[in-house]
Amino acid sequence: MASSTTGPVVGENKVSGFIFGVIAWIVGLMFFFPIFWLVLNSFKTEEAANGDPVLFFTPTLEQYREVTASSTGLLSFGEAFFNSAWVVVVSTIIVMVLAIPAAYSLAIRPVEKWRDVLFFFISTKFLPIAAAILPLWILARDLGLLNTRLVLIILYTALNLPLAVWMLRSFFAEVPRELIEASQMDGASLMSQIRSVILPIVSPGIAATALLSFIFAWNEFFLAVQLNPVDGSTVPIWVTTAVTTRGLFLAKLSAASTLATLPVVLAGWAAQKRMIRGLALGAIK
Amino acid sequence: MTDVVQDQSVIVDRSDEVERIAKKEAWRRRLPILPALLFTIIVTQIPFALSVFYSLTDWNIVSGVDREFIGFGNYGELFGSSLFRQAAWTTVVMTTASVLLSVFFGTLIAILLDRKFFGQGFVRTLLITPFLITPVVAGQTWSTSMLNPQFGVVNWLLERLGKDDPIQFAGQFPTWTIVAVLVWQWTPFMMLIILAGLQGQDPSVLEAARVDGANSRSIFFQITLPQLRPFLELGTLLGSIYLIQVFDHVEVITGGGPGSTNLPYFVFQRSIGGGWEFGQASAFSIVVVIATIIFATLGLRLLSSLLEE
Amino acid sequence: MATVTYDSASRIYPGTEKPAVNELKLDIGDGELLVLVGPSGSGKSTALRMLAGLEFVDKGSILIDDRDVTLTPPQDRDIAMVFQNYALYPNMTVAGNMGFALKQQGVSKEERAKRVMEAAKILDLEEYLDRKPKNLSGGQRQRVAMGRAIVRSPQVFLMDEPLSNLDAKLRVSTRTQLVDLQARLGVTTVYVTHDQVEAMTMGHRVAVLDHGVLQQVDTPRRLYSAPANLFVAGFIGSPAMNLIEADRSGDELHFGSSVVALPADVQADLKASSATRFVIGIRPEHLSNAGGGLNSNVTVVEELGSDAFVHATIQHGGGDVTIVVRIDGETTVSRGDNMPISIDGPVHIFEADSGKRLGTPPE
Repeated sequence: MASSTTGPVVGENKVSGFIFGVIAWIVGLMFFFPIFWLVLNSFKTEEAANGDPVLFFTPTLEQYREVTASSTGLLSFGEAFFNSAWVVVVSTIIVMVLAIPAAYSLAIRPVEKWRDVLFFFISTKFLPIAAAILPLWILARDLGLLNTRLVLIILYTALNLPLAVWMLRSFFAEVPRELIEASQMDGASLMSQIRSVILPIVSPGIAATALLSFIFAWNEFFLAVQLNPVDGSTVPIWVTTAVTTRGLFLAKLSAASTLATLPVVLAGWAAQKRMIRGLALGAIK
Repeated sequence: MTDVVQDQSVIVDRSDEVERIAKKEAWRRRLPILPALLFTIIVTQIPFALSVFYSLTDWNIVSGVDREFIGFGNYGELFGSSLFRQAAWTTVVMTTASVLLSVFFGTLIAILLDRKFFGQGFVRTLLITPFLITPVVAGQTWSTSMLNPQFGVVNWLLERLGKDDPIQFAGQFPTWTIVAVLVWQWTPFMMLIILAGLQGQDPSVLEAARVDGANSRSIFFQITLPQLRPFLELGTLLGSIYLIQVFDHVEVITGGGPGSTNLPYFVFQRSIGGGWEFGQASAFSIVVVIATIIFATLGLRLLSSLLEE
Repeated sequence: MATVTYDSASRIYPGTEKPAVNELKLDIGDGELLVLVGPSGSGKSTALRMLAGLEFVDKGSILIDDRDVTLTPPQDRDIAMVFQNYALYPNMTVAGNMGFALKQQGVSKEERAKRVMEAAKILDLEEYLDRKPKNLSGGQRQRVAMGRAIVRSPQVFLMDEPLSNLDAKLRVSTRTQLVDLQARLGVTTVYVTHDQVEAMTMGHRVAVLDHGVLQQVDTPRRLYSAPANLFVAGFIGSPAMNLIEADRSGDELHFGSSVVALPADVQADLKASSATRFVIGIRPEHLSNAGGGLNSNVTVVEELGSDAFVHATIQHGGGDVTIVVRIDGETTVSRGDNMPISIDGPVHIFEADSGKRLGTPPE
């Protein structure tokens, strides 16, 4: 799809175009401001962060040192980060291993009633997690999975699978049918067809889907706090529990928040264009 | 003529063979879906089925009394409960407001971004960031750095503008404070989906409209907006699915404080959040599922009919 | 090299009653360039894809060199195909695209490079071997698609409207190159197009299809001079043959006010026919403005330089009928003129309802 920006037209006022650009910048900066402020506060001393807002100050890494230092009895940053990375990476890998063949089936050689199948996947997203939490909690307890990383891996996989199937299907559907037929005519086996023809075309889409699945899993809090609040806790739990001291805590909280959210922001920036294209195409094709 | 009849009798009819190959092929095609399908069915449908079952029982996990089958008793109780009605209403307000506002602002911003200007890509990157932020972090950041009565930036600004007593946002307007944070996070998502729609437009259609003498306004309302419909629908659908389930923001911004308890949070409070009334909570959760489905379909219908006129 | 036989091959898509290709019988000789032509929905592409193995054959068989390949998967048919949109692998270079099939066959790297180079030389692609398809022009992409086919020296080439994405000028020159290339390589080729000019100029023989049914297969010249039925008469030729409906009056047919002179065999068939409505077919070049009994009123003149096509209305069967007449380019005729015309060449007569041709076609 050629991304054509509706450019200026003959007769359109250049000034109004400039004004729209300025408004876009202002809106962009406004939306970003809370994040900017968060990061700014994380480099301040507690006194500076709690005082009147200032833009210029001597930055310090003190808060980062403090929140990442481990103290006995409390969930440390290192542990939480390791748990999150473990749970998120493993569940994302499983999501992709399950979703890629499914998407291939739904797009490249559509089975009958593929729309119904796709709708079933999406419809599971209609089930609010809160509605399933009780049986999940009981099942996890009975299976001895409470407070394990495994239970989060399984559930994050289920959480992200529908969206991954949906997005990947639209990326796979972009592979021209003729290309697959051409590879058949060229004598390619199914494996070599997938490896040499399909994967090179869909790999950016696979990367974007994996990143989105990574983002949702990393940010998940509800299941983590219900099923896994003790050992193996993840970063969102760490960030809500790391700073509990009353009094001056804003700078420390900001540092913790910045650390917690940095991986997903980077992943999101990397994947933004394709991520949305995959989501949006799913609606149209 | 007789030749043709004779010829037909020797034509190999392969329909059986073709059917057999097609069947085999169909299974080969279905096979790759099965792992994902089975996994999804097991992990999502079994808990749901159990929920339905629990909802028909009286079961308090701490009381030590055995589970007892009571039919639709929990549901009857539920509609009599003013707390439930309150939570249901909060859910409706919170979801509708945050979905509609983020679609509205998302559309406006998408239109702004759909023209070339200096730093377009950078501004888009700035705008998408709130969506990526971990919800609990977003909630905490807003309730502390931004809206806190003592050291929040917003109150500091209001003070500069002459307002003396700081506003207790989370205390005075709990639901709307949560909505504001949700809109901040979801507007970027809507914006990107709608932007994809705007950029997928066929430029020649817009040019044709301009040649036909349409002004920007009527082009937008008569051509662009109808073409955006599937994208608006998609945004509304995905937004509704995620926003009706909001839990994290409620937890960190108000902790379910005055009037901001929505249904998911209510289910949590009544069960593992301290109530331990599993039967009743299950009934609530079933209502949440039904509400989600009604909400999503209604939202879609409404939007479709609005655009059709 | 190989022959290809369609032995009463049918394709019926699941859920449809009418076959997309209906008992197609066709023998294609070794080294022949056969063109399948027809309007959209005629089944020409389906017929090609059946030979490729990309569509099932529900009835009948397909043979390549007397080997029944009806159930052979496309991978094992030793056939190369050129697609309408070329279907080049976007992630591979030109050389990679051309060598892909050889790689699948396990041909050694050196041998592959050698054969790709040979094909590139034939197609003038040597300097582009390291480029990706997206950095090529439309014409170059088309040549790469051709190269991918010839590098394998397959038994049969299949071409599915390979020129339709080129601009008009390039299409004409590529057409000639393609015919020349096919003649040089001598590979049996089945070529699908909807463009009857392409079919006529390229095919050794042309098979005309309509609604899945083979209408006629013949040399371009025969197709033009002796169309087997009304459909072929109307489809082949540009501008199209004038087709004028006429009710029989006894055993005579009238064109305007005059009786059409019919050869003896047509006359005999007319007598034997029970039909009442017929169609008189006359090519524009078989009408003359050198004087004659029929008055026509000129509406449009299309000047082509060497000659001109005049659209004119005549009084026929109680109403106005528009006909096209080819006249010499030097003659000046303009809109509103009264132009007397006469029939000056063969006339084709068809039954209006069945489309059947009357009389034995001339040898």
